[in-house]
Amino acid sequence: MIKITELEKYYRTEEVQTIALNKLSFEVKQGEFVAVMGPSGCGKSTLLNILGLLDDPDGGSFIFNGIEVAGFNERKRANLRKHNIGFVFQSFNLIDELTVFENVELPLIYTGVRPADRKARVHEVLEKMQIMHRRKHFPQQLSGGQQQRVAVARAVVNNPKLILADEPTGNLDSSNGNEVMDLLTELNEAGTTIIMVTHSEHDAKFSHRIIRMLDGEKVTENILVNA
Amino acid sequence: MNKNYLKIAFRNLWKNLTFTSLNILGLTIAFGVAILLSTYALFQLSYDEFHENKDSIYQVYSTDQLPDGPEGDVSKSIPFAGALQEEVPGVEKITRFNGRGVLVLNGDKQLTMTAAYVDPDFFSIFSFPAIKGEKNNPIGKKSSVAISEAAANKIFGHTDVLGESIRVITEGKESPFTVSAIIEDMPDQSSIKFDLALDFTNQSDFSYADNIGDWDKENHEVYMQLAKGVTPQQFEKSTEAFTVAHYADDMAAAKRDGAQPNAEGNYIQIRLFPVADISLAEFKNGIATANKTMPFLVLGISFLIIFIASVNFINMSIAKSTQRLREIGMRKTLGAGKSQLFFQFWGESILVFIISVALGMLIALALMDPFKTLFNTQATFSSIATPEILTGFIFVLLLITLIAGGYPALLLSKLGTIQALKGKLKLSGKNRVRDFLMVLQFGIAILLISGTFVLHNQLEFMRTKDLGFNKEQVVAFALNGKQNDTRTMQLLRDELEDKPGILQITAANNILGLGKDGSRSTSVLGFEYKGRNVYTNMLFVDYDYSETIGLEVIQGRSFDRKYATDSLSVVINEAMARTIQEENPLNARIYLDDSLSFSVIGVVKDYNFQDLDNTIEPITLFLNPERSTRYAYVKVSPKNATTSFEKIRAAWNKIEPNAEFTGSFLDENIDRTLKRERTMTTIISSGAIIAIVLSCIGLFAISLLIVAQRRKEIGIRKVVGASVSTITLMLTKDFLKLVGISFLIAAPVAWWLMSKWLQEYPYKIELNIWIFIAAGVLSAVIAVLTISFKTIKAALQNPVKSLKTE
Repeated sequence: MIKITELEKYYRTEEVQTIALNKLSFEVKQGEFVAVMGPSGCGKSTLLNILGLLDDPDGGSFIFNGIEVAGFNERKRANLRKHNIGFVFQSFNLIDELTVFENVELPLIYTGVRPADRKARVHEVLEKMQIMHRRKHFPQQLSGGQQQRVAVARAVVNNPKLILADEPTGNLDSSNGNEVMDLLTELNEAGTTIIMVTHSEHDAKFSHRIIRMLDGEKVTENILVNA
Repeated sequence: MNKNYLKIAFRNLWKNLTFTSLNILGLTIAFGVAILLSTYALFQLSYDEFHENKDSIYQVYSTDQLPDGPEGDVSKSIPFAGALQEEVPGVEKITRFNGRGVLVLNGDKQLTMTAAYVDPDFFSIFSFPAIKGEKNNPIGKKSSVAISEAAANKIFGHTDVLGESIRVITEGKESPFTVSAIIEDMPDQSSIKFDLALDFTNQSDFSYADNIGDWDKENHEVYMQLAKGVTPQQFEKSTEAFTVAHYADDMAAAKRDGAQPNAEGNYIQIRLFPVADISLAEFKNGIATANKTMPFLVLGISFLIIFIASVNFINMSIAKSTQRLREIGMRKTLGAGKSQLFFQFWGESILVFIISVALGMLIALALMDPFKTLFNTQATFSSIATPEILTGFIFVLLLITLIAGGYPALLLSKLGTIQALKGKLKLSGKNRVRDFLMVLQFGIAILLISGTFVLHNQLEFMRTKDLGFNKEQVVAFALNGKQNDTRTMQLLRDELEDKPGILQITAANNILGLGKDGSRSTSVLGFEYKGRNVYTNMLFVDYDYSETIGLEVIQGRSFDRKYATDSLSVVINEAMARTIQEENPLNARIYLDDSLSFSVIGVVKDYNFQDLDNTIEPITLFLNPERSTRYAYVKVSPKNATTSFEKIRAAWNKIEPNAEFTGSFLDENIDRTLKRERTMTTIISSGAIIAIVLSCIGLFAISLLIVAQRRKEIGIRKVVGASVSTITLMLTKDFLKLVGISFLIAAPVAWWLMSKWLQEYPYKIELNIWIFIAAGVLSAVIAVLTISFKTIKAALQNPVKSLKTE
């Protein structure tokens, strides 16, 4: 599903050039659950941004679903993104001014789904995430775990092929964290590919494979058997 | 999707209630004030637009080349209009027009009214429709009178008065008239206004019959409708033969006296001036032009006020947007396009603008009456609400919303997704825009404050200037009664002369300044003096005129009852003495014609008998107790001036119980002539106040945000030892720098504009650098006070608190 080859990304200021990704190559197959680990500043988030089509690499190749997307402009990337990728962030990134229902509905609005279909779809997802009873609440009225469940609901409402999760349990206590990991596992079992950036060895164990990074390069790749 | 935008817009506005309120408050004030000011300006510009033939109606005037330069002249002689129509092709219709105050009698009722003496074409040239009676030619018979609805109500109490008769007294001549038509009341925006219209030939012999065939006596205006297919330029050109035929003597005299001909080589040029521009007409080098400075100035100020409020809106929106970056980032991540985001944010702006415009309209509506009093205008919304203006209003509104609301929306929608998600906004560039806009805002405020100071000083200067006569102690009023005015004067003298507090009584045929009767006139006399044409203002006066109004006689003497020959003597001012170029002006004799000559018996010091935007022209005083009795002047003792004024009123009411008393002190009359300056001062100073208030609202909001953004920095600085005052100073310094830059830009502009404006006045204040410095300092002080609310509070805060919240 994803194949990156010698991917490069630099950050430049006036005086210094920092290499964030240094000729990074790996592949992720449809239905895989991959964890990316490494110390702060190793390029995990940069990688996730590129995989999520939020950012463009400076070099190398990025094939997504058989299409070379490196060099796509913002409009093309946005179009591909909104139909194929869901995001889960550490800080949830829910819109404070919208209710739970409206937050989850948002991706459907941007993909042009009709209002009646939207409602049905949102209800279905909220039921599945067990937060239907909170649908009229605003994000600030929910616990962290509930907020992350809403964020996951929002990520999956469009039935994306790929979910990118950036430290999804980073802001949660362990029981809420486990709930979210269970949710992701369920989604993965249902066929969704997941790539997750994490600092937590515990969370990483939920995945099939761990890619460890340092200074923009892949250092090891462990395949976990337990999953 | 729209519902979603609207919902989030409302919630966002509600969440940021302080900013929303500040924005709506600022914009509401701005729109309210701008609506009122634009109504005033558009009203001024819409004068005389209601005439159906407005595009083909012109006032006829001429430019005379005189030795002192070209001069415009709207007064025409009795035979002029008829001859023009007969001899020059292109005149579709033409009418003479003489508007003057008359006394209307109906039974015991005596009313001072305005009569228009006109020719029959008048009612078909202008759109003054008759609502009752003779519609086609309301004054077809010489004995017919057409009266306005308002006049009918005043005279008779109702308008069913066709066939009723009234008596009209003008210049001592009383004649009966039959009401033949009721004319719809004239719109407020009509330059021509009258209570009754009479045939032109009904004027007194002095004004009409004595002058038939006389091309030298000019005493009325002429309006014409140009034939289709003829342009004003073509028409003006084709009048050359006409002027040669009728003004040959005048042109020869001008040439002899050294006047320069115009570019076409003519000494007199007949010209046309469009009727729609008459209310704004002024003469420049003898050519009438529409002076639209005032309405455009007012429109300009409305624009500046809206600009300032919009700048607040832009600055606050950009500053607030830092709190919405994550939302923007998330929306982009989920697939929102630039245009979708733009419309979302723009929608929020539109919402704020719609609310503000609606509130602004309500405010304008509520303030309309006080506004009308303050600005001395008849302007109403309905008087300017034409489809074009309404369309223009909506268009301007959309444009403002597009720019002020669209700019922040565009900035936000263009943000990079990751940058936005991280909550980082590159602020350096945006701050430059903000600072630039704030400099403009304060620049405008400083400009308007300096303008206010200069205008106010100039107004006070003109109001208190020594005009060369005693304006504080003299009461003047119109002798508008039914009785013979010479007799009235005698009765007045008998009644008042020995009363304590009354010092002197006299009369003249013109008033100084502008009296309560609102009428004034100019009489210019031209005669040949030692082979040159000489022009002088003329005034008929009674005995004691110079003494009553306090003119200083610098040579010879004033009129004296001891000398029987004084009826053939004149007193002149210094300007006239210079004009006749005599070494000893007391030796001069003025020959009006072969049989009539006057000797100069005295010279008075120059005094400002005209408005202060004129230099002092030559004036000649003729002693003529009969012809002088249009205005009475009474000098009172400075002690108990009010009691004396009441004595004069009582005496008048006793002599003319049915006529209105229009007395006022001369300084009040002078004040009335300064209406334009007063209105302008009011406009500029209200503009300045609004501008500074709005700028401060913006400044306050920005200071709120900056203090919030620098909270952690302030905390750290305090921890490492900064005092409250150094922190306050640090926060204030940046704003003061902006005010300083504004001052450096605005002060020279204000100086230039103000000196240009002052050029119009021969009597003016000297521009002083301190006026501008005072405006700058005032702005700075107001700015510091505004932000000190927030900065001092921030500096006083316990640093532990601010650091903990980070």
